[in-house]
Formats: sequence, C-alpha cells, structure tokens
Amino acid sequence: MLRAKRKKLARKRSVRIFFATDVHGSDRCFRKFLAAARAYDANILLLGGDVAGKGLIPIRAAGPDSLYAEVHGVVVTVAGEDEQGLRDEINRGGFYGVRMDDPEMARMREDATYADDVFRKEIAAQMERWCDLAEARLPPDVRCIITPGNDDPSEVDVVLNAAPRIECPERRLCDLGPVLLASLGDVTPTPWNTEREYSEEELEDRISEMLDAVPIGCRAVVNFHCPPYGSGLDVAPELDETLKQVIRGGRPSVISVGSKAVREAIKRYQPVVGLHGHIHESHGAQKIGGTLCLNPGSEYSSDVLRGALVDLADNGDLLDFVFTTG
Amino acid sequence: VTSPTPQSKSPIPQPGAGGSLYVRKASGLVRDIGIPTAIGIALSATGVVVCFLNFNAILTSFAGGDIYLPFLVGAGIWLIALFAYRYLVAAVPRGSGEYVYVSRIVSPAAGAMIGGAIAILFIYTAAIGAHSTGLYASFTLSALGSAFNSASLSSAANSVTSNLAVVLIGCGVMILVGFLAILPLKRAAQVLLTLCLIQFASLAVLALLLADHSHSDFVTAFARYSQHRAAYQALIALGKANGVVYGARFGAMFAAIGFGFLTFYGVLYSYYVGGELRRATRTYTWASAVSLASLVIGWIGLWALLRHTAGLHFMQAQQNVAAGNPNAYAKVTNLDAASGGLGYGLVLSGDPISKIVFALAFPAYGISTALVFVAVATRVLFALAFDRVLPVRVANVSERGNAPTVAVAITVVLGLGFSILQTYATLTNILGLLSLFDALVTIAAGVAAALLSRRRPDLVLKPGETKVPRLLGMARSTWLGIMLAALALGVTIVILAHPSVYGKFSVESTTTLVVVLLVGPAIYLVARAVRLRRGQIDLRTVMRELPPD
Repeated sequence: MLRAKRKKLARKRSVRIFFATDVHGSDRCFRKFLAAARAYDANILLLGGDVAGKGLIPIRAAGPDSLYAEVHGVVVTVAGEDEQGLRDEINRGGFYGVRMDDPEMARMREDATYADDVFRKEIAAQMERWCDLAEARLPPDVRCIITPGNDDPSEVDVVLNAAPRIECPERRLCDLGPVLLASLGDVTPTPWNTEREYSEEELEDRISEMLDAVPIGCRAVVNFHCPPYGSGLDVAPELDETLKQVIRGGRPSVISVGSKAVREAIKRYQPVVGLHGHIHESHGAQKIGGTLCLNPGSEYSSDVLRGALVDLADNGDLLDFVFTTG
Repeated sequence: VTSPTPQSKSPIPQPGAGGSLYVRKASGLVRDIGIPTAIGIALSATGVVVCFLNFNAILTSFAGGDIYLPFLVGAGIWLIALFAYRYLVAAVPRGSGEYVYVSRIVSPAAGAMIGGAIAILFIYTAAIGAHSTGLYASFTLSALGSAFNSASLSSAANSVTSNLAVVLIGCGVMILVGFLAILPLKRAAQVLLTLCLIQFASLAVLALLLADHSHSDFVTAFARYSQHRAAYQALIALGKANGVVYGARFGAMFAAIGFGFLTFYGVLYSYYVGGELRRATRTYTWASAVSLASLVIGWIGLWALLRHTAGLHFMQAQQNVAAGNPNAYAKVTNLDAASGGLGYGLVLSGDPISKIVFALAFPAYGISTALVFVAVATRVLFALAFDRVLPVRVANVSERGNAPTVAVAITVVLGLGFSILQTYATLTNILGLLSLFDALVTIAAGVAAALLSRRRPDLVLKPGETKVPRLLGMARSTWLGIMLAALALGVTIVILAHPSVYGKFSVESTTTLVVVLLVGPAIYLVARAVRLRRGQIDLRTVMRELPPD
C-alpha cells in the first residue's frame, strides 16, 4: 500500500505550463517570458492577456543629429544613432517611444481618433516584433500561446492569429495533451472602460459555450483573464469616479473586482486549474472546490516577470505548481 | 471556435506634464515604496542614535580609541558596497537581499545557508532592539522627569531597571511592532521614517547645545548636574588612577575599524525590500546614498562637537570608569554613562523641550530597530517560502495590507523568546559571533557581485548588448564585488584579531554560529529531496532567474 502511495506520489509529468500575464508592453518581460521555456524546462508558454502598453512618450529632435525624450520624469538627450537605446529605456516602463514633432504632438492632444490610431499602430508593431522574436528564439518543441486581455485592442488578435509560431485560442478550446485549454480575455466592467468589458451575463454565456463543449472525461484548464469574484485573487483598491483611491477609516479601501460568472463557472465545471491575471496586486493561489486558481500578478513596470509553473500528469491531474519571479 | 470581437472604444489621451507622456485607457494600479520611505528603512536598520552606543564601545574597548578613522573607513566600505549591491539589485530586483542574490548567482544551497542564518539573526536583532527600549527606559523616564519637573517620573526611572521590567517592556515593544508589521510596508516605513526623524532631532538638538556652549560651560554644567563642585576634574583624575589611556592612538583607531563597519551596517537595507521598491535600482541607490551621507555628516560632526565641548579625555574617563569602577563613578556623578552624548545634552539642557527630545530618542531607536528587522526578517521568510524551501503557508500575505502575516507571527513569537532569553540566559555570549557573521554575509554579497557577470551575464546585459562592458579586463560589477569582498575580509581579520571586543570563540558561540549556518542548507536539502521523491517541481528550477534578454 505504501509502495502504491509512493508510486502515486512520484507520477511523471506530462506537460509543464509556464503561465504569465499582464506584461503591458514590457519588452524585457516578454524576453524573459520566452527565456522561461529553457530556464524552467517548460513545454508550453502561456501569456494570459494584457500585452499592450499603456503609454507613449514622444521622442523629439534636439538638434541636427540628436534626440531627446522625457523618460521617467528626466529629460534624456542622445545622439541620433542611439535612438534604439533611448527607445529601450522608454520601454522599461512598458511605454512606447515614438518620433514626433510639435504639430504631431498637438494633434495627439487634440484629436482622440488620431491618438488612438498611433497607439494601435505601435501596439501592433510591437506584437509583430514579439512574434518574430518568439519564432527566432523558441525551441521547436515548445508551444507558445498568447491570448489577449481587456487592455488589448483588436489589432493584437490580428497579429497573433497571423503569426505562425504563436497560438491564439481566444474564446475557444485548445488541446494541450492531457487537458483542454479554454481562454477568455473579456472582463467585467472596469472604471477605465477598456476594450473588452462585458456584463456578467455575457461572460457566463461565453464561458458556458466553451466549457459545455469539453467532451465528457476530458479535463480542462481555464485561462480566464478575469479572476473569480471574492477569491482573494481579485482584490483591488476601490476607486471613485475620478479614479482616486477611496479611503475608509483612514486606510485605502479594497474590494473584490472579479467576475461572478467566472466564479460560478469554476464551481460548476471544476477545471483542474484556473489561470488568471488582470489584478496585478492580487497575486496568489486559491482553491475553489477542487480547482486551483492562480493569479501570478504583474510587476512589469519593474522589469520583473511574475509567473506560475504548473505540472500536469498524463490524466490531466495537477501534480504541482510554484510561483516564480524573475 | 469563435473569433475575437473586441469592443472598440475611443480612448481619451491625456498629455502628461509638458506633453511628455500620452496615456491610453488601461486598467491596473501599482503600489510601492518610494525614496523617502526607503530612507526610513535604511536609517532604521542602522539606528540613528546607535552612534552613542558605539562611541562608548570604542572608548571602552580600545585604549586610545577615537571615532574619526574607524567611522570614515567604515563609511568608505559601505560606499563601495552601495555600488556593488546596486548591480545585484538591478540584476535581481527582489526582496530578501543576500538570500536571493546568492541563491540565484552562486548556488541555491549557499543561498539557503545565508537565508536561513539571516532570518534567525534578524529576528534576534529585532528582539535586541525591543530589549534595548527596556534597557534605556530608565534614561527616558529620568529625562522626562527632569523635563516635567516630576518626582514621580524620576522615581519611576529607578523602578524600571529590574530584569522583569526590562523583559516586560521588551516584550511589549515586540508585540507592538508585530501589529505595525502587518500594516502595508509603505505605512510601516512611514512610521520608521518618523522614528528616525525623532532620533535625528535629538542629534540636532544635541549639536546645537554643544555648539552653543563652551568647554568651561560644560565643566560648570556637569558639576551642577553631579552636585559635585569639581566633578569634571575628579572624573579625569579617577580615570588616570584607573589606568585609562588618554588621547587618540592610531593602533586603537585601526583596531576599531570593525566598529566603524558594524555601526553603518544596515545603511543599504532598502535592498531587503527590493521587490516592493518603485524603480528598485534608482530608489535603492538614492535611499542608500542619502542615508549614508546623512549619517556620516551627522555622526562625524557630532563627534567633533563632543570632542570640542566635553573633551576626549573626559569621555574616555567617564566611559572607562563607569564600566570598570562603577562605585567610584557613582561617587562623582549620577549621570547615566550608557546614554553617552545624549547624557551630555541633558547636562547642558535648560529647557524641557530638548529634554523631551532626548528622552524620546532611545525608545524611537529601539522601536524602529525592532520594526525594521521584523520587516526584513519576514521578507526573508517569505522568500524562502515562496521558493518552497519553507512551507508555502509562510508566504501567505494579507489581502488588505499585502503583509506576510504568517511570517510576521512567526517572527514575533521567536522575537519574544529571544527577548526573554536575552535577559535570563546570557544570549549575548551564545550569539557572541554576530559581528563575525555580519562580516561574512558582506563577503558573500561581494562574492555574488564578483561572480554576477561571469555566472549570469544574461542578468547584466542590457537589451541590444551582446557583451558585458569591461573595465581593465573585468566587468565593473566584478571589480566592485572583489573590492567589497576584500574589504569585508579585512574587517573579518580585524574582528578575529580582537575576540575580546567583537565576540569570543567559546563552545556556545562557535556551535551557535555553525548551527545557524547549517539550518538553511539542511532545510533546503531535505525539502528538495522530499519534493523530488514526490515528483514535484525541483527547487533548483524554481530558483532559476530569468535572463532579461
């Protein structure tokens, strides 16, 4: 009996998933994400949404052959040939460095549609570079899955779906071997009114559509960007209508901002693992019934890639998980 | 299979200051530690008024000892260390300091050795901080009694010197800091910064008093305080009779370099919360530089004023006679020698405000030391648990404060134990080699910095770089690491050469050091073996640092 128990304890893994999320345009974090395949001996790399950056910093001409930009509050001037270095420095906060002159800057301020176009172009261009990088760097036996999140415009999906080395199974099931992966980047409404926000009912329909299609006897892993409501993986500061933190009793008030539809689906379908993101500060692991829900959190602005390693057995059982920081 | 149909919503770009930044609508907030609060952590880990304790220690431990050389050399070593650690913080921008640097750059087992040992010794240091609040309660109450002209406060000062009173105060402080440690780190660091400002206020008030009074004023004030017409001269004569060596001697100052090094220990400790710093490298560098500069200026300047107004011979006589011949000392004056310079402030002070400031300085020191070491010890425990070397439950954090509550509870319980043992079980002898350990940890950090570019060049390279930039054939981090390791080795030799001052090699102290060093690797090897047997993820894999390019 003891031997049987030991045998059960020492089951071999079938796949190792490295899951990360919310890199928000950080080139360094994406490079670390790719490096995780070798460093952690992972078969599957899974990036669970919010790949797009949040800000854009103009790079302007300082003279005939020099450029400057305000990087983290400091004006940095470089020679024209060092433009890439300046762009890299700007990108350390997940921002995009873009060459601009005064009329263009004025237009950015005044014309919301133009500014939106500039952002979308930069986001798509960066995604294309990342896809090329993945193709060049990843070992052939490693699968790379990237799904969008609520902060990602539709251009991200277009680039990901066109990239030969990347899989983007958004809102559909994807075979990982011992389990099926169900992915959804949509979230419940946020104070920022972002790209993919829907009501709980709409989320419930989309999740049910996917998970009802899981064949009987098959195990599933869910990659839902939005964490389950009240799970402790969804705790965020409460904000007022001006996006300022609400203070109650002299302390910042924190509330659950996850999705009730996600929570109910996890309770009902009991996938092996729930992989979530969205709330950067609320990293942790929590069990909902038999499902282990993970939110590795995000520290992209510090160049730190937070992730989770998940080992699955042949029959889809969860063998082990650990959080990583690198 | 469905295709994505994202809602296209028009963003409202918001130009930043001077039109330098445009942001789009996106979710997420980041909470972290800025430079002022990181300074609070660094200053608390050093202890602003710890200078008085070490001034006294140098004067009593080294015949002909003076402060200038050891303090300046000590500060110089930490200046080099600042830049060596900067590379480590940049490569591994995370909490738990040497544990994470050594485990990622040298080896996981070596990291576990450092991690286990520093966790234990930080908890002990937190307990020492809490305990010192009890030890200095007498000075605090007598200063407050003098400030408020209250006989009951002054008499209370005599009743808090018993072992039980000291233990009770120490345990009370330990419980208080336990509650403070479950606050968000930013709040706790703000408390630390406030406590450091109280200590700096006492230094500033003392400096003003010393600058405002002449040497003869001090002689007169000391006589009045001691109710002895020639107390100053009597104390110097008593010192001479007791064999006190007056003046400054190079040999003594050189031997005291270990004290200079240890006095500044902790000035870089914002790296221990590196994972919670906003823009870790920049925040660490500025917080460390500002802390180091303010302490050097404050301490050296204060020592110059103490020498000018009170006189080196007087201070040497007072400390040595009080330590070696307390009965004779008590016949000359009732001034608490342990309070050092702050006691001189009390002698010179005529107003209640400055007395209150002096009274609050030592409690502020004790509480801030206890709190900061609880904070950093919990980060080390958290990191060990995060890496699964300790049970993962130790890494649990509160939803509200984001504080590692289980680690805080463990730290406070062990700290209470240390606090009680410190009084009743002569723990100082058992942990007599703490100074040696501190120097060894610094050597380990130097080695990690020296090996950084060789073992993990990927962590040093910037995007686009293919080779680590070199200076005279070696990477800058290697040069700085070698320099730091060599200087810390020099300090180690000084410490080993003066066991009567820095810690004796007894059976208890040596066994304790060995056990403390072996706890971490033992736990790591057992945890790894168990995990491998169960088919779980290998700890070596978990401890791999991802290359940034």
